[in-house]
Amino acid sequence: MSDLDTFTLLPLQVDPQSKAVETTSSSKSLQTELAALNALHRSLLNLETPHNIPPPPIPVNPKRSANINKLRENANTEHRKGKYADAVKLYTLGIQMALSRPLWEPQGLVREEVAGLYANRAQSYMALQQWPEGSIDAEMSVETKRTGNAKAWWRRGKCLLEMGRVEEARDWCRKGLEMESNEAELAALLKDIEAKLGKGKGEGEDE
Amino acid sequence: MVLPFSSYAGAKICNMFEIDWMSLALPFAYITVLGGSLYTFSTVYRKRKAEPWFPPHLQRNVYLSLLHMQPEAGQEKAPKIPDSIIRAALLRRAVENIRRIIQIRTSKQALNTLLQKGSVGEDLNQRFLAAEREIEEELRDVANALSPGWGQTIFQSANEIAANTVLRTRLEEIEGRLEADKQWWEKRRETIKEDFMKELDEDSAKGSAKAVSDEEAVHVELSSPAATLSKKKKKGKN
Repeated sequence: MSDLDTFTLLPLQVDPQSKAVETTSSSKSLQTELAALNALHRSLLNLETPHNIPPPPIPVNPKRSANINKLRENANTEHRKGKYADAVKLYTLGIQMALSRPLWEPQGLVREEVAGLYANRAQSYMALQQWPEGSIDAEMSVETKRTGNAKAWWRRGKCLLEMGRVEEARDWCRKGLEMESNEAELAALLKDIEAKLGKGKGEGEDE
Repeated sequence: MVLPFSSYAGAKICNMFEIDWMSLALPFAYITVLGGSLYTFSTVYRKRKAEPWFPPHLQRNVYLSLLHMQPEAGQEKAPKIPDSIIRAALLRRAVENIRRIIQIRTSKQALNTLLQKGSVGEDLNQRFLAAEREIEEELRDVANALSPGWGQTIFQSANEIAANTVLRTRLEEIEGRLEADKQWWEKRRETIKEDFMKELDEDSAKGSAKAVSDEEAVHVELSSPAATLSKKKKKGKN
């Protein structure tokens, strides 16, 4: 309980010009924390709310969502036209815009936006036969949205297979089928992979 | 020490002593192990009791240090910290509290299963509960320091900040593997290409050496275009 009444006085000072909090201590963790604090302080100062206090997570300012949507739609059009490199650029812009949302905005929204953008960029990378980029993007998409994201699961499996990382591809697809049990395409990909490994005989998947 | 015995007897005694030491080794080892384990147990136990669940609350220390700034050398008044910095420090503190609560909740689930299985004692559970109470009080402490109205939303904001930070860290981790993946693939493609070149060279070498019989010549002609084709295909995958 005594912990609540005491604290450790840290050697802090505030730069009168930049208003950044600084320390004379060489503690790495303190310096990291102060960097985070100063970044947060700067983004709070940009707010137009009274006292520069972050607004509640909901409702979200619809401006940024509209911009991200527009970028995604334009990128989709480029992809359909076969201009894959241009599509990649537009998806990248959209991802940057989604990830640069202030941290106090709903993370669920960020996940939703980013999952779609990464999955689509993976597709454009695959069309360019840039398998490492495609596989990483698909993995990021799955990381942000694990269920209901069968396309992203399939894309990483395919990229791994194209790079000859067959066993990894198999494990990945199996994991994906645990999440998306009724995905025919994912199951078909897994069968291809297992056939390639020469193990497809007695070990067929359930789906 | 003067020995009243002949040197022969002395040697014998020495000999006896050596034998005694050897046979004493076992009891001594027993005592050492016993003492050692008691000592280890007591230090570990005391340490475990004193050790708090979480490391020092850095964000709390920063916040309170800012509130209690000391005057600099040669000056009477402590420097005035802008309110916006105090609010940012308070928000950081709330985020850390959220992080700790999440950590406790996730550990608590694991702990409860262990408790049911009986593989974990009640004392560990007590430590968990104490840590949780500590955090709850700390949250109240933070809430008391809030500016009016902010109390209703600060923890919502802190919640999103904590979750968004975790998400971005995970994405950065995954993206951090891209460079290595790309380099690996670059190398592998080179090897694939070289292998095809070698195969081609071998084929043509065989072809020129054995081009005596018609059968071999046909074989070469059949195999080379196939090799070139697959080479082209691999090349196209840049």
